[in-house]
Amino acid sequence: MSIDGLSRRNFLAGLGGVGAAAILGGCATSASTGTGQAGGAVTLQSNLSAPLPKAAMESVVAAFNQKGGAQAVLNTVAAETFRTQLPSYLTSGNPPDLYTWYAGSVGRSYAKKGLLLDLSDVWSGLTDYSAATRTLSGDDAGKQIIVPITYYWWGMFYRKSNFEKWGVRPPTTWDEFLAVCEALRAKGVEPIGMGAGGTTPWVASAWFDYLNIRINGAVYHRELLAGRHRFDDPQVKAVFAKWKEVLPHFDKSATAIPFQDATTSLLQGRTGMMLIGTFFADAAPKDALDDIDFFQFPIIDPKVPIAEEGPTDGFFASAKTPRGAEVKEFLKYLATAEAQELFIKNSAGTVLPVNPKAKDSGTPLVAKGRKMLNDAAEITQFFNRDSSDALQPTADAALLQFFAQPDQVDSILATWQAAAEKVWSS
Amino acid sequence: MVTLTAPPVERPPTSGNRRRNKPNRRVSPLLIAFVLVPLAVEAFWVFWPAIQGVYLSFTNWDGISPPTGVGFDNYVEMAGDPVFGKALLDTVIWLVLFGGVSAVGGLGAAMFLQRERRGVGIYRAALFTPVVFSLVATSLIWQSMYQPDGLINTVLGGLGLEGWQRSWLSESDTALYAVILPALWRQIGYVMVLYLAGLKGIDPVLYEAATVDGASRWQQFTRITLPQLRSVNAVVLSVIVIDSLRSFDVVWSLTKGGPFHSSELLSTYMYATAFQSLRLGYASALAVVIFLLAFGVIVTYLVRAFQESDS
Repeated sequence: MSIDGLSRRNFLAGLGGVGAAAILGGCATSASTGTGQAGGAVTLQSNLSAPLPKAAMESVVAAFNQKGGAQAVLNTVAAETFRTQLPSYLTSGNPPDLYTWYAGSVGRSYAKKGLLLDLSDVWSGLTDYSAATRTLSGDDAGKQIIVPITYYWWGMFYRKSNFEKWGVRPPTTWDEFLAVCEALRAKGVEPIGMGAGGTTPWVASAWFDYLNIRINGAVYHRELLAGRHRFDDPQVKAVFAKWKEVLPHFDKSATAIPFQDATTSLLQGRTGMMLIGTFFADAAPKDALDDIDFFQFPIIDPKVPIAEEGPTDGFFASAKTPRGAEVKEFLKYLATAEAQELFIKNSAGTVLPVNPKAKDSGTPLVAKGRKMLNDAAEITQFFNRDSSDALQPTADAALLQFFAQPDQVDSILATWQAAAEKVWSS
Repeated sequence: MVTLTAPPVERPPTSGNRRRNKPNRRVSPLLIAFVLVPLAVEAFWVFWPAIQGVYLSFTNWDGISPPTGVGFDNYVEMAGDPVFGKALLDTVIWLVLFGGVSAVGGLGAAMFLQRERRGVGIYRAALFTPVVFSLVATSLIWQSMYQPDGLINTVLGGLGLEGWQRSWLSESDTALYAVILPALWRQIGYVMVLYLAGLKGIDPVLYEAATVDGASRWQQFTRITLPQLRSVNAVVLSVIVIDSLRSFDVVWSLTKGGPFHSSELLSTYMYATAFQSLRLGYASALAVVIFLLAFGVIVTYLVRAFQESDS
C-alpha cells in the first residue's frame, strides 16, 4: 500500500512538474532568452534534403570534424519544414547554432529583429570574396549576417540531341525565341515546360523575374519586390503582355506537375525547353547531364542592362548561440576553397563556388553558366530571396491564376497588390 | 440524449433507505485529485493555449517580435478579405457536400450491410479500411491518380472520353471537388460504422409490429429507423461538422488550397496565413471564427435536440 501511495505521489508530482513546464512553455508569445550551454558540437540545421546535396554537406561536415578542432553535427530537415520552422528555431530558448539559408533580402528581416549572429569578423578574413557578395551578405545596418559558399544560375535548359533532331538552334532574341516555339509546335513537341504544379508553384516566379528584369531592369524589379512600386503598375502590365505572347507555347500541364516531373518531360523530349535553376540536375540521371545545355533567357529590350538570376546559398547563425567561437571556426572552414571544392565534388557539380580560388566541376556547362553570370551587369537572386518567403505565396496565386485566366490580368494584379500590401505592412 | 431524460425511479420512503441515502459529505482526496489533476493538465495544454489564441486574434504578431494589440482590426480586415470570402464559401460547400454525402452514403451503406449475410463482414471491412489509412498517405495515392497522365485520365482516354480529361488538381473548376472525393472515400466508412452501431440498438420488435400493421419498407424506414437513430444522428452531425471544419491534411497535401485559392478552406487559409505569411494575429482571428462556426452549429443542434426530447 505504501509503495502504491508513494508511486502515486510521485506520479502526481510528475504531473505537477509537467503542468509547471506547461506554464513556463505556455508563454509562447513572450520572448525567451537563451541559456544554452557553452561547449559541445556546433549544430548545423540544413535544408539540403535532396540526396546529392545532403551527401555533399555530410562530406564537408565529416572533413571539418577530422581536422580536430571544433566539432559539428549535421541535422537535415525537409526544405518545406525547415522554412516554416525557421522562425521557431531562431526564437526558441536553445536554438540550433547554424542554418543553411540564402543571401539577399530574405535573411535581413531576421537580422532586423536581432536574431542573427554578427559575422563581420569572419568576413574580415574573407578578402577573396567579391564586393558584390559582401553587400549581398550584409544586413541593412551594415553587419555581415551570412557566409555564402555556393551559387548557381537559371537558364533555358534543353537537350542538345533533341534540338539537333528538331532542327532548331538556341535563340538569343525574343523574336528568335518565338520562332523556335513555333518550330517545335510544328514538330508536335510542347515547346516550353515549367513544372509549377504540386509542391513547386514558385517555379513560375522565374518567368516573372526574368521578364521583369529584361523589360524593366533589375533595379525596378528589386524596388517592386521591396514595395516601392505597385504590382498593378503599367510596367508590370507590360511584363504580362509579353508573357501572353508565349503563353500558348507552354506545355498544357505546366501548372499541373512539379518541376521534378517537368524535368522528366524535358529529358524524355516531350517538352522542348525549360526555364529552371541548375538544381534540377540533382534529380537527373548522370548520362542525361552530358546531353544538357542551356541558353540565356532571350533579350527583349537591348537598352536594358543585362541581369541574370544567380541565387547564392550559405549559412547564418543564431544570435543566441553559446558557441560563437566554434560557429565562426566552422564558417571560416566553409568559406575555404578546400571545403567548397569538396562540396561540389560530392554534389551534382552544377553549383559554383563563391570563393574565387575554389575550382568548379569544370564541365563546359558550368563554364558557360559562370561566364553568363560574370558578363551580367546585375545579379538578382530569386523572387523570394529578393523579397521574403511571405511574399512568395502571393506571387504563386497571381501567376497560376494568370495561366488559367490570362484575360483577367488587371484584376489579378489588383488582387496581387492587395495581398502584397498585407505582407509588407505586417 | 434519451438517457438524459430517463424518468426518476420511484422509491418507497422507508426509514432504512433514508439512512442509506444520507449524503456522504466527505469526498475522498483521491477522487478530488482524479478530477483536479486532469483538469489542470487540460487547462494548461488545451484551455490556456486556446485563450491565448483568442488573445492573439486581437494582435499583430509575426511569431518573432512581441505581439502588438490592434483591437478588432483583424476581424475588420476579414470582412473585406476576398480570400476569406472564398475560403468561407468553399468551407460551406465542403460542409454541405462532404457532410451530406457522407451522412447519406454512410446511412445507405449501413442499411445495406446491417443484415448478417454470408460475406457481409468483408464488405464492411472494405468500406471501413480507408479510415485506417493515414489521410496523407491516401492523398498521395489520389494525387498520382489525378495527375495529367494518371489513372483517371488514362481510363477516360481508354473509354474514348478524351474531352473529359482534365488536370484535376490544377484547374480551378475541379480542384475543390477533386479534393472532396478522397475525403468522402474515407468518411463514408466511418459514418457507416456509427450508423451500424445505431441500427443494432433498435429493438427488432418495433419492425415486427410495423410489419404486422402492414407498414411498407419506406414507412418502416421513415417512422421507425430514422426516429430511433436520433441520438446517433447527433453524434454523426458533430463528427461531420468538426471533421469538415478541421479538414486540412487532405487539402494541404493535394493542392495546398490552390490553384489561386480555388480549393481554399478556412483551415488551409489559416495555416497559410500563420506559417507562410507569418501573420499569426490574423491567423488566430481565422481560428477563432472556425471555432465559433463549429461551436455554433453543434450547439444549435444540441439545443434543438434537447428541446425535442423535453417536449
